[in-house]
Amino acid sequence: MDLEVEAGEAVSVMGPSGCGKSTLLHLLGGLERPDAGELYLGGVRVDGLSETRWAVFRRRNVGFVFQAFHLVDELTAVENVELPALLVGGSRRAARRRAMELLDRLGVAGRAGHLPDRLSGGEQQRVAVARALVNEPLVLLADEPTGNLDSRATGEILRLFGELGQAGQALLTVTHDARVASTADRLLTMRDGAIVAQTRLGAGTSVAGLLASLADLAGER
Amino acid sequence: MRRPGLAVRLAARNLRRRPGQALLLLLTPTIATGVLGVALSLYGSADEPWNRTWRATEGFHVAFTVYHPPDEAGDRALVDTLRRRATQLTGAPGVVAVGGPRSHLYGSIRLAGGTEDLTAEVRDPGPYQVDQPLVTSGRWLGEGGGVVLESGLAATLRAGPGDTVTIQGRPFPVRGVAQTVSRGRFPLSRPAQVWVTPETARQLRALGMTEEGFELQLRLADPARAADFAAAHRSLEAVPSSSSVVPYLETWQQRRSESHSDIDILAGTLFAAGTLIAILAVATASVLIAGRMAAQIRQVGTLKAVGVTPRQVMLVLLVEHLAVAAAATAVGLGIGRLLAPPIAATSVTLLGRPEPPPLTVTRVLIVAAVAVAVVLLGTVRPALRGIRQSTLRSLAAGPRPPRHPGRLAGLAARAGMPLPGVLGLRSAWRRPGRLATNATGLALGVAMIVVALALRDSVELLQLRPPEPGHAASDAAVAVLYDQIRAVIFGTAGLLLVLATINAWIVATFAARDAARNQAVLRAVGATPRQTVIALIVSQLAACAIAVALGIPLGLGLWRLMEGGDLPEVHLSATSLVLLAAAVPVAFAVIVSVPARLLARQPVAPLLAYE
Repeated sequence: MDLEVEAGEAVSVMGPSGCGKSTLLHLLGGLERPDAGELYLGGVRVDGLSETRWAVFRRRNVGFVFQAFHLVDELTAVENVELPALLVGGSRRAARRRAMELLDRLGVAGRAGHLPDRLSGGEQQRVAVARALVNEPLVLLADEPTGNLDSRATGEILRLFGELGQAGQALLTVTHDARVASTADRLLTMRDGAIVAQTRLGAGTSVAGLLASLADLAGER
Repeated sequence: MRRPGLAVRLAARNLRRRPGQALLLLLTPTIATGVLGVALSLYGSADEPWNRTWRATEGFHVAFTVYHPPDEAGDRALVDTLRRRATQLTGAPGVVAVGGPRSHLYGSIRLAGGTEDLTAEVRDPGPYQVDQPLVTSGRWLGEGGGVVLESGLAATLRAGPGDTVTIQGRPFPVRGVAQTVSRGRFPLSRPAQVWVTPETARQLRALGMTEEGFELQLRLADPARAADFAAAHRSLEAVPSSSSVVPYLETWQQRRSESHSDIDILAGTLFAAGTLIAILAVATASVLIAGRMAAQIRQVGTLKAVGVTPRQVMLVLLVEHLAVAAAATAVGLGIGRLLAPPIAATSVTLLGRPEPPPLTVTRVLIVAAVAVAVVLLGTVRPALRGIRQSTLRSLAAGPRPPRHPGRLAGLAARAGMPLPGVLGLRSAWRRPGRLATNATGLALGVAMIVVALALRDSVELLQLRPPEPGHAASDAAVAVLYDQIRAVIFGTAGLLLVLATINAWIVATFAARDAARNQAVLRAVGATPRQTVIALIVSQLAACAIAVALGIPLGLGLWRLMEGGDLPEVHLSATSLVLLAAAVPVAFAVIVSVPARLLARQPVAPLLAYE
């Protein structure tokens, strides 16, 4: 696999279950170690970093949105969101302010003091997105970030993701949702652990067109 | 579950799936049942050898003994009166044979290292209807004088027929060595004893031996009624309160019990130790079973999903844990049967080879009850929780989510506590049920460490005085018993520490397992492995702090209860308690850090997929 993502670029990854999409995100975020190859983030080679260096690098430069949310279930929604900000050494007051801004933006500020177990799946998803964005990371790695959301919440998250590019932040989104995939600059299609197609998506790419091209791709295979 | 075989198969599979945990679960009650098994096997292990000698020597059923302190002014008239009363006793209903009254002379015998108080019992050459001492070497009393040594005295002196012993400063030839149940074995039972003829007794009186009293021995038609016979003749014991003469009636059962009191003391010490260990084992098993249940929740959910009722799920859990209890009972009793004879054999009081008493239903039930209590007390709460939990929740199988937002961690954060510490405090405080379980288990561990410290100090108090004149050898014999008790106490303290450590280890490993997902999430958002280790340690130290606060007073209270027995009074210093309060969290932090570090070394992604 040879993949390069520019600063500010949004890339969607699609493919059947088990093709390695989530593993790709884990490798890019240092949650799994590659057996071979090289990995650079922001010009820094990171594949050989120790666990501790990876953690320090990750807290500043990588945001994760997991398919299963993975909120810390002992922390309230706002505490989950402010956690990465506190880890980079920010003040509690500033971290809390930033966390509340994001939760407000995502429509869950009213649930800020609740533990994850008391939040719906969609609310947990939005808290997870807020947490990933709180440190304005170099790259955001999102695994099915809208899988549990209704149309309105999905729209808000996509708008938020759209702002990342303007700030020079890269976005890699694993999704099964063609509407989400169509908002990216580029679409990667994966199968059996490899990228089998790359499609540059223009501003006028429609969902229907995207689905048609994916169907063509599946037919060729 | 119509076929109990399915419950057995599922239970067996559960045990086999996690053999390490199953072994630990077996080990925990087995330490308690093993110690109790030894204690119960020791009780009475010297009875049968004593009974054999008793039967072989036509041993007494009731003895009337009059003791007159040799160094006190004489009350000879009273002793003579009591001797006449004793003669009347020989015609009492139920008496079938009479031995004596036999006079006792008081003096001293020379041993290596000093002298020892000596009783010489005066007898004609016999034979006797009651208490015919069993000659183990040489000859019994007869023509030519000399003395016959009680076998324990002979063993201590390493003397036998043909040797001479020095009594009242004069050598006397040893005619033989004999065993009896009339007196306990020297040196634990003192004074030392020899048998002499009336002629030799005259020589001894001339050398300064004084009248010490006499003993009349009776055999009854029904030996089982010895206590009733003694009770019916208690009036014989009446003497003026100002008198120094001590008359007493004693049954053969009482004499047997006193004859090997060292073994009974040892058994009693072991029984107390086993009880303490069982208390801690309950705590250890609770934590262990709660952890195992957390791991089995998904299986419980699956069983319920396919239609198994909560009662049937409970049956599977009961079978699983009762099997462990049964194994612990069997192993404990086996250990008892194996170890009791060699322990009893160290006693100087034995009249032959020790034999553990037969396994009575009562003894088996005592050990089984401890094993079942240890295992089931730990099973009930987590089992009920697992069964009551909804099937869907059980199938999700993650650790139970916390219920309450905490405030303490917020205060700690405002006070400037580093983030890992704050995270640890949040984790601890938001799971009050787990905090309470862990704190209770650890508190019992701390309490037992306090008891172990007190036991250690009590050992120091068992130091003997320097041997006194007249007690040269018997003090050494008591020292042997004290050495045994010391070994039991140190062993108990060691086992308590081992169990407390196992307890802490189980708490730590299950805490690490439950925290695995959250730790991985923390690392995914940028916490370093070191920070996650600290967070986990802090989360467990909260339980440890509560345990120290509760465990030290609990341990002191337990020790106060124990002191009511035979143990010497011990006051643990404030310094040692403060050191303990400081050392326990440090030791616990070290224990927790091991699974925490192992967890921190694992890659994040598989841990996130853990649930």
